[in-house]
Amino acid sequence: MKRTSLFFAASTAIVVLGGSSAMAAPQCGLNNGQKATGEPIKVGAVVGQTGPDDFSSSADAARAYFNCVNENGGINGRPIEYLVEDDQWNPEVAGQVATKLVKDEGVVALVASGSFVEMAVNAKLYADEDVMAMASACAVAECFESKNIVSTNQGPLPSSVGAAQWAAANLGSKNVVCIGLTIPSVGPYSCGWTEKYMQSKGLSGSSILLDPGAADMNASVLETVASGADTVLVNLPAGMAAAYLKAVEEQNLRDNFKWISSTPLYDTEVPAMLGTYWDGVMNINIELTPIDRTGPDATNWRAVMDKYARPQDPRDTFSQSGYLSARFFTDALLKLDPANIDRKVVSEAIRAIKNETSDLLCGPYYVGNADRHMPNHANMMVQIAGSGFTVISGCADVDSAYLDPVRAAERDLGITN
Amino acid sequence: MQAATKHLSGAVEPDAVSSTGFVLGRYVPQLFFTCAAILLPFLVNALWLKVLTAVAIYALTAASIALLYRRLGLVSLAQVALMGCGGWVALRFAHAFGLPFEVNLMAGGIFAGLIGMILAYPALRMRGLYLALITLMAAGGFGILINVIQFPNGGGGLTGFEVRAITYMPRPVIAISDAAYFSYCMVVIAFGFLLIDVHERGRAGRGWALIRKSEASAMAAGVNVTLYKVWGFALSGFLAGVAGALLAGNLQLLDARSFPPAESVMIFALTVVGGAWHWYGAVIAALLYRLVPAFLNDLGLDGNAAYIIFGLALIHALITAPKGLAGQLSDGLKRLARRGPNA
Repeated sequence: MKRTSLFFAASTAIVVLGGSSAMAAPQCGLNNGQKATGEPIKVGAVVGQTGPDDFSSSADAARAYFNCVNENGGINGRPIEYLVEDDQWNPEVAGQVATKLVKDEGVVALVASGSFVEMAVNAKLYADEDVMAMASACAVAECFESKNIVSTNQGPLPSSVGAAQWAAANLGSKNVVCIGLTIPSVGPYSCGWTEKYMQSKGLSGSSILLDPGAADMNASVLETVASGADTVLVNLPAGMAAAYLKAVEEQNLRDNFKWISSTPLYDTEVPAMLGTYWDGVMNINIELTPIDRTGPDATNWRAVMDKYARPQDPRDTFSQSGYLSARFFTDALLKLDPANIDRKVVSEAIRAIKNETSDLLCGPYYVGNADRHMPNHANMMVQIAGSGFTVISGCADVDSAYLDPVRAAERDLGITN
Repeated sequence: MQAATKHLSGAVEPDAVSSTGFVLGRYVPQLFFTCAAILLPFLVNALWLKVLTAVAIYALTAASIALLYRRLGLVSLAQVALMGCGGWVALRFAHAFGLPFEVNLMAGGIFAGLIGMILAYPALRMRGLYLALITLMAAGGFGILINVIQFPNGGGGLTGFEVRAITYMPRPVIAISDAAYFSYCMVVIAFGFLLIDVHERGRAGRGWALIRKSEASAMAAGVNVTLYKVWGFALSGFLAGVAGALLAGNLQLLDARSFPPAESVMIFALTVVGGAWHWYGAVIAALLYRLVPAFLNDLGLDGNAAYIIFGLALIHALITAPKGLAGQLSDGLKRLARRGPNA
């Protein structure tokens, strides 16, 4: 009887807490419920929306957060005017729209950008104009090797190396083939460092790089078979990854390999898209914590999205990342005198961000003055299970020589992961 | 031969206008580009300056296509790939030797010209659809090759590509800013159009005119058909290569995905729409190719919707404007001029 009472009490508590968490009002900025009416502060973002894949969910989340901030006092009375441009996965367009935002619109910063091309094209522009880009869905080397770009997500390198690291330790992988994109600072960058990781452990690694416009995945599957690998690391945008995995399924080659993936496959729509074939087989590295967690930021992210985002806006890793970038940015601006907010002041405020924490991240977030930034370099692993995902490992820091300069910068800043 | 071919070359008859007007008329493209170089940086904002720089660069590419189509009746569907060749060499030279931009520009142009000469080899035996297919396959081959070797990013070795963040290609010392680089491109393009004009009015132009009319007649008249065809492809390739080097300077990098064969087909189609028979047809083609998508994008519409407009424009040109929009515009202006004094 006593045990039954305890069980009901605990159940009631879980329901009440869970319910209160689900129903929680969004918390953002000054959180005073007053609409900001002052002079708008222009903030920009460049996303790759039209093209091989849609990289706009980070900006969708940031827009939702900024809407919430504007409804709750803004930046000490001043609303944020959020301008989002689509680079169409085209370097020329990326250069044009970033020039528009930085030079014509005079944005004070870029927040929650997500693209495969814009950072490589615009890193110099951002440095020349000393505007900080707090990106959220970065995939290219320039995101993590530029003075004026800092990304909340990890990009494909830590995610790929983290997946290979987990596979070597838990699946006994000896030879990993990385399936990536030919885009120079994406596929060769992340797959290349995965190969280096494998070699540093006395193991083998190789890469198969695909043209982003490749429509037929069968050739890539045949190359995979010819690689002689025991483990396949799928390091592609979700749409292309699904096409590749469908081709593997058609040839029924699943059981010939162990399967790991970088973050893009961590999308709520992916299990349904792939069907049951990959249940309990596909192991995915995630750059932020799982989307169904119940920590303060995880709960608030969902609440902000539910109230201020469009129903069709995805609730994925990049959305979490965009939310976090927007929150860190807002928190940094709230420390400033609202009458004296310009690009120079904002860039300094962003560089001063240090030891921000969130339950959506495995480690602290910071920016600093280093010539490269990668604050987020610890990740987790999940596995496709039914219509969702199961967590199969906790936070683990990525073991790669690529991070040596980042760790040196962290030591200088007094950051300990 | 000169008198016989003057009509065929499509050159303006000197007796039709005054000699001063004729000289001025000859340099209208250069005046146009010089005025644009001076005025536009003051008239448009940073976005449109960036877009217009791309327009200027692709105007040179369209002019290189129009040259082959107009003078030799040849269809090249490899001009964007030739731009890529020029851009690759310009980037490689810039990163490897640190030479002035102008040297890299010329190196890119010369290399693309050489590739153009190689493309001319099948042109000696083929015309029409078959030549177009050969050039399209060359463009496809370039697309595959460049995805393998990538554009130089400051790395070492033959390819100059390494897995690391990009080292940007330096711009000319006199054109570091976007505004100055736009003006610089306009000046280079003015020289490009002048080069075409000089060729068309010289021995090469007379040879091309006879070849276009009839290769047999040209041979009978003593024209070295092989030489002039190769010459035409070399000049066209050179101009496309220079455009590619300018494009590399504009972004200060190049991306392999910017040079698919479909882009060569598209710019050729738009050159036909713009009008291969008038110098400003190339400008219209470039405006359609780069300004219209940017305009749609700026309105918040998908820039790819421009392809619908391109399709309609092509149908319009094929049905009602065999000399392209430039031809229609030119004819319209002539009609207005004739009507003027009678009114």
